[in-house]
Amino acid sequence: MSLALQIVITGLAAGGVYGVVAIGYTLIYRLTGVVQLALGEFIALAVFGTLLVAAGTGPVTQTSVGAARFVLALAVGLAICIAAGVLTYALAIKPYLDRGSTIGWVAVTVAIAFAIRAAVSAVFERPSYVFPDPFPFRDIGRGGVVTIAGASIQVRAFFVIALAVALAALANWTLERTRVGRGLQAIAADSEGAQVVGIPVDRLVAGAFGLAGALAAVLAIAAAPSAPFDVDTATLLGVKGLVAAVIVGFGSPWLAFAAGVALGLVESTIASASISGAQLGPSYREVLPIAVALAVVALRSRREERLEFE
Amino acid sequence: MNAVAARTTGAFGAALTEARRAWRWPATLATAAFVVALFAPLVLSRIQTQELAAWLYLALAAIGLAFAVGLAGMPSLCEGAFMAVGAFTAAQLRSKAGADPVSATIAGAALATAAGALLGIAFVRLGRVLFAVATWLVAWLVALSLAAFPELSGGARGLPIRAGAFTETIHYELALVLVALAALVFFAIARGAPGLALAALRVRPPAARVLGVPATRLRLGAFVASAGIGGLAGALAVQLAGIADPAGYGPFLSFKLFAAVLLGGAATALGPLAGLAAISALFHIAHWIGNLENVSTTRFEPMIAAALLLFVLGIGGGGIVPWLRRFVPARTATIEASPAPPPRRFAGATFAAAGIRKSFGGLAALVDLSLTAEPGTIVALIGPNGSGKTTALRIFSGTLVSDGGRLTLDGAPLIADTTTERVRSGVARTLQRTAVFDELTALENVLVGAGLERGYGGAIRSALATPKERAETERLRGEALDILDLVGLRAAASTPAAHLSSSDQRLTMLAAALATRPRVLLLDEPAAGGSAEDVARLARLLDALRGDGLTIVLVEHNLRLVSAVAERVVVLDGGRTIADGPPAEVAREPTVRDAYLGTHRL
Repeated sequence: MSLALQIVITGLAAGGVYGVVAIGYTLIYRLTGVVQLALGEFIALAVFGTLLVAAGTGPVTQTSVGAARFVLALAVGLAICIAAGVLTYALAIKPYLDRGSTIGWVAVTVAIAFAIRAAVSAVFERPSYVFPDPFPFRDIGRGGVVTIAGASIQVRAFFVIALAVALAALANWTLERTRVGRGLQAIAADSEGAQVVGIPVDRLVAGAFGLAGALAAVLAIAAAPSAPFDVDTATLLGVKGLVAAVIVGFGSPWLAFAAGVALGLVESTIASASISGAQLGPSYREVLPIAVALAVVALRSRREERLEFE
Repeated sequence: MNAVAARTTGAFGAALTEARRAWRWPATLATAAFVVALFAPLVLSRIQTQELAAWLYLALAAIGLAFAVGLAGMPSLCEGAFMAVGAFTAAQLRSKAGADPVSATIAGAALATAAGALLGIAFVRLGRVLFAVATWLVAWLVALSLAAFPELSGGARGLPIRAGAFTETIHYELALVLVALAALVFFAIARGAPGLALAALRVRPPAARVLGVPATRLRLGAFVASAGIGGLAGALAVQLAGIADPAGYGPFLSFKLFAAVLLGGAATALGPLAGLAAISALFHIAHWIGNLENVSTTRFEPMIAAALLLFVLGIGGGGIVPWLRRFVPARTATIEASPAPPPRRFAGATFAAAGIRKSFGGLAALVDLSLTAEPGTIVALIGPNGSGKTTALRIFSGTLVSDGGRLTLDGAPLIADTTTERVRSGVARTLQRTAVFDELTALENVLVGAGLERGYGGAIRSALATPKERAETERLRGEALDILDLVGLRAAASTPAAHLSSSDQRLTMLAAALATRPRVLLLDEPAAGGSAEDVARLARLLDALRGDGLTIVLVEHNLRLVSAVAERVVVLDGGRTIADGPPAEVAREPTVRDAYLGTHRL
């Protein structure tokens, strides 16, 4: 019982982050047909941008940053992330979209991903960093850990889960209820038609590229203090968000979020599951979901063939 | 026996003559570079030889990737994963099972080929975007598996392999020969019939498919080749290095190879070499500067590769080799005027559709369409926009499956479900919008259609340029020229299709469809956007084809053309047949006039 509860809470917290990342992939894909393969690295930009302003590149203790400085740092980190997204779309992706060159934008997004990775790890030279925590979670329970029904759970996990749901709801509300959101939906349905009726397609899509990264980054920053963080952590978030989005075929933001949460739960289950006595263990946690996503894509490929044609 | 010998000698002589004619100074340069490179170990240290050999193995994998990216236009992001499969298979066999170098290498390449076949069957039908995503996830899957299972990969320390019988020099010479061989095979395939079909598929997949290009099979072949070559390169590279280090086989390796192929020029045999050389040269310069400043620059390598790729793509470049090629005199295509071509006979067949139904969602697009077209006649299918004409043609040509009804050709049911098989059984179709292969000449466009007929056009035969394959190429070329003659485009045979007028492009499409040797020709608005003169030319051509005995089904908005050439007209409105008969009779039907709202007159 206690183990099960621990698995569920850990899984939900991790899955919430994957889910919001998956929303980012889905949004961009439905708007442009582009799979933004550098999304994880955009998150890295925001996280490490925030860390740079908040605490520099030296060692950090969780308590060493004041609230005002942290807010400033967060603003700077998100601004970098949004600017990178907007510029990437305008300068590097749109030219290839206009030319219909899939290979072109695929190459560009992967190139940008590796460029950001190299840049971040050049500035942040340690193998991993402790992220400053603006909220006093460590004052609750024993150093931020409470015991519920025998399970030891980080208090932050509840915060991350709540924030994830709030961000997913915010994204959905924006899409459904605001002028900008309706504009985005029009673009997703028929980009040329939207252009004709006067929707500023390029500006909205560029904005979506920026915000898709920033949305996920907010949550990644909220979750970051719970474990050591490095640039690979962000890249892997990108891969897992992609896995979630692929499994539901970039269907809709809520579907993507649900898939992300499910992925988190599956991962935490695999990590402590055993099949007929043999412990599966954490090794399989990273590997199995990707294999499943690939199988899903393969099964869907027959339908795809007719769609691609004409 | 003598006759065979004489024939062989003759074929050999012909091949030599052709090779001499095709020879250009870059070929001399490449040959000279290869010969010089063979003797390089004489002057290089062991370390240098080893480094060069390692680089050549990477180049081998890059050429392998070019089969998928350059020839088939597939954005494959998992070449590094195939190298890893080859590398760790070989390393495991060498270090744990004590296998000898040759069998370990073969096993590594074989397992990578098998992995490529499996993934290919699963993914080659995907559109380009999802194909890129799937291969990217494969790269991560392999990298994370290596990290997660140290018993497989040797963990952080890697798998050491004890020194085998192969010295650095043997590795170097082997790598050099393999690279040259892979580049030659790539070159031969790109120039031959499969290359033509792949180029068509790369530029306009739908247009290639209606000409019967077997898209899935060609893509699968290219992808499996890229996997096998990658696996071979990986298996040899770890044995040269003496250790299989999982850190070296992450997604960055896949990206680096992808970048090298695009940098050098994806569709060229030497492009991957040039691209990889550019990346490695910049790495070396960075290391040199870094050493002066006492900074380690290894971690900047991804940034260098990415920046270089962004730069080349940003300036709109097709890559290094295509850029260099502008300095090489273009091959002057000599198209010799043949004597008056024999009149071409098309054997028509009776094409019949009975009770064809199709609906999309709840919307009925076709309701009980029945139509019979006899050899030597033209049946026109007309109707307002959205009345189901193109849907009917798509069902006839096999790109769309009907909900019910029967199609027969000379009484035999047409049940073959792929477009390729439909084309092979004699039903060819042109597309509504102009869809020529821009980069190919008019003649090559037609040859794409003729490719289906080939008995000897496979990739291996193309690569070896067997005498039969060459004879067939000659014959098909002659026939393609005759077809161009028939549509009046012989003079434009060596003009790139992009430079033709739009009406000539439509005629090129039609010629390509004719090259599939159809018994039934389905034409989708061949006169759209043409001038009165173009329409008159088209009418004469259709008349001639009918005279040859071909069966023609014509979807057309230009009613002047329809009434000039068609024996019978079927009028559709909202998916229903509202009239069927000779043009003059149909024109008198009030329902037809209503459907056209009086805006057209027959």
